[in-house]
Amino acid sequence: MASPSPSERRLQKELSSLMKDPPPGVSVDANAVYQHLNLWNVHMKGADGTLYQGEDFQLQFRFSSKYPFDSPEVTFVGDNIPIHPHVYSNGHICLSILTDDWSPALSVQSVCLSIISMLSSCKEKASTLSIEKH
Amino acid sequence: MEDKKETQTNIPTEFNPDLNQDELIMQRHREIEKEIWESTSLVCEKEELSSLEAEYITDEVYQGKVKDLLRKYRYIRRTRPDGNCFYRAFAYAYFESLLNHQREYESFREIIMKNKSSLMTSGFSAVTLEDFHETFMEVVDVLSKGTSAQDELFKLFNDQGYSNYVVVYLRLITSSQLQLKAEFYQNFIEGDRTVAEFCHQEVEPMYKASDHIHIIALSSALGVGIRVRYMDRGQSTEAIAHDFPEGSHVHVHLLYRPGHYDILYPIDTN
Repeated sequence: MASPSPSERRLQKELSSLMKDPPPGVSVDANAVYQHLNLWNVHMKGADGTLYQGEDFQLQFRFSSKYPFDSPEVTFVGDNIPIHPHVYSNGHICLSILTDDWSPALSVQSVCLSIISMLSSCKEKASTLSIEKH
Repeated sequence: MEDKKETQTNIPTEFNPDLNQDELIMQRHREIEKEIWESTSLVCEKEELSSLEAEYITDEVYQGKVKDLLRKYRYIRRTRPDGNCFYRAFAYAYFESLLNHQREYESFREIIMKNKSSLMTSGFSAVTLEDFHETFMEVVDVLSKGTSAQDELFKLFNDQGYSNYVVVYLRLITSSQLQLKAEFYQNFIEGDRTVAEFCHQEVEPMYKASDHIHIIALSSALGVGIRVRYMDRGQSTEAIAHDFPEGSHVHVHLLYRPGHYDILYPIDTN
């Protein structure tokens, strides 16, 4: 098969779609992504009217060559990790669509939307990940 | 939800009470399963059905069922037991039959194009849906070449890039059909899950195995009859057949053994 690989082709499509039609408060540094298509830095603003209003976050997406069949690895990075029951202090996010419920039909965009909704529905900032399964 | 990615890179050398031991055992179990999968081609070459006899030499119940199958079927084509086997076996068997039936191929192509608009309204992201649709159509279009494309079809189905795209697209068609007729399918879903939740957890992700409900949804969405022969511990001496949708004209024959589907070829057609 000719280059680019299916996984690269898919990422390029997702990148242009995300730049054209980003979820509210989300932006991606396209120049950096063009250099490393398998590593994206996504900026995310805490939504207005939520506990995270006024905060800025950085998400890192890492894609394997098996993307979209393997889920992307998504973590919060940088000096502001959201304080949330499902976010570890090292930035790791506990979200079922990033593991068991990942589907190749999901996308960077849908992952961003899920994370925004996870943050927005939080009623109380808790600093440690609760151990109970959800 | 435990943190699997983390434990993967952090396998402890001594007992660590903070880590869930069951989870580690499950993890190892999944790794072993994966090794087994990878030793089977996604779609294997056709073989004589009598090869099944050797698998069940010491098992009377299964032997009886193999004998019964041998009266009706000539060949078996195995598929990789990776949880996608229903979709992959179905697609390969049906596509292969379309090589010989160009008129049916034309109408199948039309159904797929029409079906795309209902997928568009099922809440899938347009970008990813388009991507899967394009690759799926690339494979479908190969069928227009007729029987000369037999080898090409076999190669495409053993190329993950194409084969898994076909699986995903069929998963999306299945999910969309379930959600379209949610009122009906809700009756078959156990537990408190809605049809949409069931689709997100059991239909759309790769490697999740299929049950009756998936088969009914896919076969009715595409109007393709599927006969599944069940080879299980049941006392019947026959490998019982179920047709999906009930009473339909059968296009595809599959063999079910607990947890897995392979393709069967009836005696009269081959």
